[in-house]
Amino acid sequence: MEDTQYVVLKKDRFEEFIAALSSMQKLVAPVAKGFGAYAFEEVTSADPIALNYIPTILPLKKYFMPQRETLLEFTLDRRSHAEAVVEYEPLTIFGAHTCDLAGIQCLNMVFSERPKDYNYLLRKGTITLIGLECNDYCDEYASCHLVHASFPSGGYDLLFTDLGDYFMVHINTVSGDRIVRTAGLCEGAGSAHMNELRSLRDRKRTVFRNEVPIKTKLIPELFDAVFGARVWDNLNERCLACGNCTNVCPTCYCFNIKDELDLTLARGIRYRVWDSCQLEPFARVAGGINFRKERSARQRHRYYRKFRYPVDRFARFFCTGCGRCTRACMADISLKETLSELIKESEERVWKKWL
Amino acid sequence: MEKVVIKDSGYRLKKATILRTKNLTRNEKFFEIALKDGSSLDHEPGQFIMVSLLGIGESPISVCSSPSRRDSFDLCIRAVGKVTRRLHTLKKGDEIGIRGPYGRGFPVNIITGNDLLIIAGGLGIAPLRSLITYVLDNRRDFGKVHILFGCKEPKEMLFSDELEQWSQRTDLHYACTVDRADPEWAGNVGVITTLIPGVDIEPLRTFAAVVGPPVMYTFVIKELLKKGIPKRQILLSFERNMACGNGKCGHCQIQNLYVCQDGPVFNYEQIKNLSEAF
Amino acid sequence: MKKPKVGIFDFACCEGCQLQLANMGEQVLSLLGSLRVMEWREVMSETWGKKLDIAIVEGSITDPHAVERIQRIRRRASVLIAYGSCATIGGVNGMKNNFVFDEIRKYVYGDSYAFFPTEPTKAVHQVVEVDYFIHGCPVYIPEVVTVLKAALQGIPYYVPDYPVCVECKLNENVCMYDRKVTCLGPVTRAGCNSWCINNGNICYGCRGMVSNPNEKGALDVLAKYGIPTSLVVNKMNMYNKCRELDEP
Ligand SMILES: Cc1cc2nc3c(=O)[nH]c(=O)nc-3n(C[C@H](O)[C@H](O)[C@H](O)COP(=O)(O)OP(=O)(O)OC[C@H]3O[C@@H](n4cnc5c(N)ncnc54)[C@H](O)[C@@H]3O)c2cc1C
Ligand code: SF4
Ligand code: SF4
Ligand code: FES
Repeated sequence: MEDTQYVVLKKDRFEEFIAALSSMQKLVAPVAKGFGAYAFEEVTSADPIALNYIPTILPLKKYFMPQRETLLEFTLDRRSHAEAVVEYEPLTIFGAHTCDLAGIQCLNMVFSERPKDYNYLLRKGTITLIGLECNDYCDEYASCHLVHASFPSGGYDLLFTDLGDYFMVHINTVSGDRIVRTAGLCEGAGSAHMNELRSLRDRKRTVFRNEVPIKTKLIPELFDAVFGARVWDNLNERCLACGNCTNVCPTCYCFNIKDELDLTLARGIRYRVWDSCQLEPFARVAGGINFRKERSARQRHRYYRKFRYPVDRFARFFCTGCGRCTRACMADISLKETLSELIKESEERVWKKWL
Repeated sequence: MEKVVIKDSGYRLKKATILRTKNLTRNEKFFEIALKDGSSLDHEPGQFIMVSLLGIGESPISVCSSPSRRDSFDLCIRAVGKVTRRLHTLKKGDEIGIRGPYGRGFPVNIITGNDLLIIAGGLGIAPLRSLITYVLDNRRDFGKVHILFGCKEPKEMLFSDELEQWSQRTDLHYACTVDRADPEWAGNVGVITTLIPGVDIEPLRTFAAVVGPPVMYTFVIKELLKKGIPKRQILLSFERNMACGNGKCGHCQIQNLYVCQDGPVFNYEQIKNLSEAF
Repeated sequence: MKKPKVGIFDFACCEGCQLQLANMGEQVLSLLGSLRVMEWREVMSETWGKKLDIAIVEGSITDPHAVERIQRIRRRASVLIAYGSCATIGGVNGMKNNFVFDEIRKYVYGDSYAFFPTEPTKAVHQVVEVDYFIHGCPVYIPEVVTVLKAALQGIPYYVPDYPVCVECKLNENVCMYDRKVTCLGPVTRAGCNSWCINNGNICYGCRGMVSNPNEKGALDVLAKYGIPTSLVVNKMNMYNKCRELDEP
């Protein structure tokens, strides 16, 4: 495992490294917001960076598909004219956990699928992603192992792993390599370092276990069986349809499109904003019919968009196990509990068939 | 913040000019439209476009003319809200933006050579008019053609001149009904399903094309299955909330299907188990 | 384009929302530049009394005189904008409806109370038809601008029919529930860009409730945080009492 793809950054050089990163282009990293909450925000030094953080309030999608994003610019005078544009700001993200890297991998698949979304793809090309491996669970809400997101599997330019007094840095792309060279603060990784990385991973394998009692590959089958489950009715009673669970989800990307004129009423933009399948107007059409009137149907749709529908389209789950939906729900609707209840109910059904 | 123009953006608009308009009923207006660069829309019957009014918004609207007419196309628009009400105030020579065509229309290659049973409820006649006029343009390529049309009241009848013409033709069978008659009405009264048992079809070589309000589908499908038409040969077009037309925004989803890309026309076999469809 | 003629009228309210209008500053002056304000008691003395393109109405309707007056304004105006929570949902004036009316009148007017007729407080749309609603106590200026633009464009403005939480999350605030504080955001309709929470306050529900709130679910959540139901109902009623007069 002697490998030029790995270098070592001593912790006493971390501050310098961050300063170097921030001098290259705008740098964002997780910072503490109080009350146990974190957010990705711009930093210029290592000081405010929270290396030990639980998933931020909003995931990285806020940089890849901003909350509000211009699609068209137009003028309304006699020769009215409209032009499709993308606005972007070259950016380095430091400290993305493996679940959030997985989230971006999901979005990449969605927006690369035909018809391609160039607003997303062009902006993505200007973002450098530096991951930070989790050595332990963030908290009891995470379920990253269930969906294979507890270990790194690509999707980054550089990956940092904390190994005590140094970071092991995995160089995954040419632009990652360029950063390491430009900063000039890393040293080659020796076999002792590689052994330490290997033993960390071994230890992780004993810590990270499927958080819900089901084999991962059986999840699609589970969802094939529970569309009519009582579990959804129970969520109907509890869910407030606030949309928190989807707004904070790294793989929820639904949006609405709106127009806005400036104060002259002669120029304007067409823009998209994050939208949510949990909200009342989402599936409502003219004439007032709402195709997902019941909150139970909306919650069910959310879960199927994580665990069933993308399996057919993209051959992966669209849950990264980050646990944000559970943390953000004031009605205490928990992803792990819902899955466990679905498993229980499906077992009941199987038994009923046999009795 | 940097900014670049995207040539291939899925949100780019084509300019189009209104050539002709006509009030069909109090709420529905007809538009004939041509693309400004002189190109052809190149749509399939049953596809839709996004009609755009800058500063107001966009609406998905079915193209209601035959693709065989290449230099212009028709829309039939019911005024219900922001975009559609403003569209109703436009006249000949005014400019609009469009994107599309989008989605999968009626599979003309597959249905060619077969008999057709076309069932339209209310505004459902709009997407079906593109199919009907296409079939009439290529009448020799199809077997028997039945058209059943239903609406609430006689004064809500769309394209009444054309319906009248179709009813005169000897190469197709046409029947219509209204839910509530008025004093001048001499025809059938009752919901559209009452017309189905009476049509004489050979189920195995008949494709049914059905478009109407959501409540209509369950009842019509039941009648068609009773007639023995195979599920794969029952074609339905769905309306959902739409924002993007590109299979991304999520608004139009029926379980795992996207109406804007996988539809709006589906065959019954595809969606019969999807409870969100009905 | 001829400049639209505008009238600004007040009913029972603190006039704080008009103050917002007067304070709107430069960004809006250019918009107002495309309007001609014909009547505005707060800033001009004469009344004009003819046909108006836009009537902006502040305050709730609390007595028979007000009913007649708002009906006259409605007849004169092609477009009527209910402006501020007192006008759009009855607002805090609705709290009157919690009491026996004669007692209030006695309390306010003393022995001569019989000369001061009163009625249950009503929101403007509970008396005449309203074209645009600008909720809020006070109104949120960016939304005022959006609505005025929509009115000038002649297109509807749909008040967001989803809760304040949506905007609060988009602003990446730390949720009040994570700070162990209750907040009416989950049942209050958005449009204010979670103004109060951005500034460290909770949401008081001043914009009225979403169309299909899960009230039972919301009460369960609040109960879980040890908040008695009566307190919550009071909190909600502070602005939303008049809701019970709406047609179902
Ligand atoms: C594939 C497809 C094909 C179609 N083909 C046709 C066609 O050929 N002809 C046709 O006429 N229509 C067609 N439609 C329907 C058409 O797209 C809609 O009627 C249209 O989008 C309405 O847009 P609008 O901006 O005019 O209405 P909107 O302003 O969006 O409003 C529509 C209605 O919903 C209400 N509403 C909307 N948003 C809100 C809100 N936030 N709060 C409260 N109320 C709200 C409004 O009061 C109004 O009654 C088609 C739809 C689809 C999906
Ligand atoms: S966060 Fe909770 S209450 Fe809000 S929509 Fe999601 S499940 Fe419902
Ligand atoms: S569904 Fe919940 S746990 Fe899964 S990725 Fe989304 S927010 Fe994270
Ligand atoms: S309309 Fe956006 S996904 Fe279909």
